[in-house]
Amino acid sequence: MKVTIKKQNEKTLVTLEGRIDTTNADQFQHDIAPLMEDECPNIDIDCTGMTYTSSQGLRMFLLLQKSVMAHQGTMVMRNMDSRVKEVFDITGFSNIITIL
Amino acid sequence: MIKKRFNPITDKSSEIIAFLMASPDIPDDPDLRFKIELSVEEAVENVVHYAYEGGIGWLEAGTSLDHESLVLTIELRDAGVPFNPLEKADPDVNLSADQREVGGLGIYLCKNMMDSIEYHYEDGNNVLIMRKIVKN
Repeated sequence: MKVTIKKQNEKTLVTLEGRIDTTNADQFQHDIAPLMEDECPNIDIDCTGMTYTSSQGLRMFLLLQKSVMAHQGTMVMRNMDSRVKEVFDITGFSNIITIL
Repeated sequence: MIKKRFNPITDKSSEIIAFLMASPDIPDDPDLRFKIELSVEEAVENVVHYAYEGGIGWLEAGTSLDHESLVLTIELRDAGVPFNPLEKADPDVNLSADQREVGGLGIYLCKNMMDSIEYHYEDGNNVLIMRKIVKN
């Protein structure tokens, strides 16, 4: 899993590539931690290259969404792989995270 | 059944998952593999993290494929604390982000990704059997 975070004007652009699984969930948590410290988060996540997530990844996305809401910010995820999207649908995460 | 016993299982999740996913019983179809791998990962992680204190214990993992019915069977067996993961209540997937609790999605994903999942306690072992029809 490769996480790229870029600030562009008021927006935080994030690119996720690869898999979030048991081998790298801790690293992923560490990599996205800066996103939870943003004062006024406006996060745009490109998921084009994200091919897999287990419940450990979902856990982090929920924590991130909660953090964004607590800061009155916004977050969108885009270009999600259809198989990953199904995981978000089944778990109801599609209802609580904006997926474009 | 193609099977292997891992002992001890501390930090062995990825090795156990890789063993199961390398089985010739697992289909090549990427959609099926995705669902099977996710279920295998969640089920294996459960045992590795919760069955034994400190992961000191064994896990036997196996696959079999019925070539007539094309039913794939994945079996996990351990001698840890008796625990039926199917008794755990499903998460309420209609709650808002505020109300959702973090975690508790692993077995729920297995139930949804596989065609059937059963548990029994036998001879001092937890036995979890997951099945998936693997015809396209």
